[in-house]
Amino acid sequence: MNVNQVAEKTRNNQVVTYLAISGIIVIAMMIFGILMLLQQGGVINLPPATFYQFLTIHGTGMIGVAALAAAAIMWYFLNKYVTLSQKILRINLALFLIGVVMVIIGVFSFEYASAWTFLYPLPALSANAWGTIGALLYLGGMLVLGIGFLLFYLDAGRAIIKKYGSLGKGLGWDVIAGKKAEQDAPPGAVVASTMVTIVNTTAITAGAVVLIMNIINVINPSFTFDPLLAKNLTYAFGHIFANAVIYMAVIAVYEILQKYTDRPWKSSKSFLVAWTMSTVFTLIIYTHHLLMDSVMPKWTLIMAQVLSYSNGLPVLVVTAYGALMIVYKSGIKWDMASGLTYVAMFGWVLGVVPAIIDATIVVNHVMHNTKWVPGHFHMYMGLGALAMIFGFMYYVAKVECNMRINMLDKMAFVIYILGIMGVSGSFLVSGAISTPRRWATHFPDWIGPAQFGAVSGICLVMAVSIFVWHFVRFLMNRNTLNAGSDFSKKKLA
Amino acid sequence: MSVQTVAWVTTLFFMMVIVMVFGIVALKSRERRPYEPIKKKWYEARNFYGTALVVFMLAVTIYTLRELPYDIPVYGEENEPTVVEVEAIQFAFKMSKTEFAAGEPIEFHVTSSDVNHGFGIYDENMTLIAQTQAMPDYTNKVYITFDKPGAYQVLCLEYCGLAHHAMVQKFEVN
Repeated sequence: MNVNQVAEKTRNNQVVTYLAISGIIVIAMMIFGILMLLQQGGVINLPPATFYQFLTIHGTGMIGVAALAAAAIMWYFLNKYVTLSQKILRINLALFLIGVVMVIIGVFSFEYASAWTFLYPLPALSANAWGTIGALLYLGGMLVLGIGFLLFYLDAGRAIIKKYGSLGKGLGWDVIAGKKAEQDAPPGAVVASTMVTIVNTTAITAGAVVLIMNIINVINPSFTFDPLLAKNLTYAFGHIFANAVIYMAVIAVYEILQKYTDRPWKSSKSFLVAWTMSTVFTLIIYTHHLLMDSVMPKWTLIMAQVLSYSNGLPVLVVTAYGALMIVYKSGIKWDMASGLTYVAMFGWVLGVVPAIIDATIVVNHVMHNTKWVPGHFHMYMGLGALAMIFGFMYYVAKVECNMRINMLDKMAFVIYILGIMGVSGSFLVSGAISTPRRWATHFPDWIGPAQFGAVSGICLVMAVSIFVWHFVRFLMNRNTLNAGSDFSKKKLA
Repeated sequence: MSVQTVAWVTTLFFMMVIVMVFGIVALKSRERRPYEPIKKKWYEARNFYGTALVVFMLAVTIYTLRELPYDIPVYGEENEPTVVEVEAIQFAFKMSKTEFAAGEPIEFHVTSSDVNHGFGIYDENMTLIAQTQAMPDYTNKVYITFDKPGAYQVLCLEYCGLAHHAMVQKFEVN
């Protein structure tokens, strides 16, 4: 191992720590998901309080951990083009862990269960199910967690501005305007990171405002604020933050597929325009979560449908199309990293379909808050974002230690796809038969798909455990194997 | 055909198309050909595909936005709607009226006296036929005329606390 490789490995220590923690938390959160499906399927009998605590921890944990792992991907690749602060990366992880501990204590020790959307004024008005301390621990934990991510994005923004001059230039606006040649456009990793920096800084600010107002309301119930404003702020935070996960994780697809196919994935003008469109749309389409609030100005709801449709275009016409084009007749060498990233693009596109359909006002009128909604986002997050994250974990293990994959990994790859399709499919079927989401118990007609989802979930968690075990083996061998000696660009392609 | 069935069939159709496209590209991936001619061909195809997709989405947008659940129906002079005041509260719905006649135009004026709730109307087959949010300080409206007599139910569709799943109200259409 030469000096540069040692330096890179040291830099990556934190990234692999992020990934290892994420992998373990994902498994734990999946187990909570399976328990909820078993309860809804009538297989086990949990008290409602326990079910809703699981619901709260599952939603919060999954979004949080997906964002954490995706942030690691963003840092890993963005750091190749700009100079990021390792200290901030460390602080973000520390604040994440403090926030997680506060959330866990709030939920399990003080029985707090507002779901991860904590819609005002539910944290303060629980019908005596939980008290002030539980609410404060949860809301405070979310705030601490948000501060960590805010620092992370501020640092990314600082580094991008330092290198490229402005966030606009990070998005390649000077190239779009013709002031700079296309071959000098910022790479995909920088463009995507700039987009996420813009949207998530906004999202976290909105989230912090509504969290602080909720905290004050919990402490002093005579302080009240507008519930519609609170709902707007909550979804502005929740939608953008959850959506941004895939925009960070997709950086891995750009970088990995380029290497494996030995073909360039350059930032063309259409690529840059697509990312600017995604930036704008992601910021403003959260109102599709409020389509059933007719007190919202009607034009905002119509725009929510129109822009939700439009938001599918950059993915369908540019990003996914680019992935297909780069793989087509490329002679690509398929392994876990390339396979999972390719499947992830497939999952992203697949998840777009039920999302767009649900964003149609007349459909939303009879499908909003049914299980159709988790059907869409389990497909998008599970088969899309998480597959990118696991693909990246295999990639890191390969480039650092040349970790080999075995039959078990290949089996896990197939089981993972089938498992997440089963979970998402069961949710979509449930939604199509009008099963409400977030119900601790189900009527007999709704039980079948929940049971199928639970079985699929068990398969899924087995596959993910194999993925994480591969990564743990990599960590154990990281200091002993002759890292990088067997790796070269040629070997991937 | 219900909206749910149309949504489900449409979803399955497009998902099948996506499976086919990704499958074909994966099958063709092992062959190695120069990238530049492929790029040229794919960019040309994208012009057609992108345009077709935009036109299709535009057509669907226009078609689906013709009638919206927020629009107040045009009532005849002899056919004034029955206004039903609905107040959601942890964990019940208080409705000013729970018996209706088939063909009678009804406006549900829905609010909440504590947290956010959902007001989802289910028919006898347990199919969701309309909904709105029940919010504190605001009144959302549902305009509906029940065509079929039967026993209907309102289910809470927004998580509102530990007895969320028990928040059910029945009503009759004669």
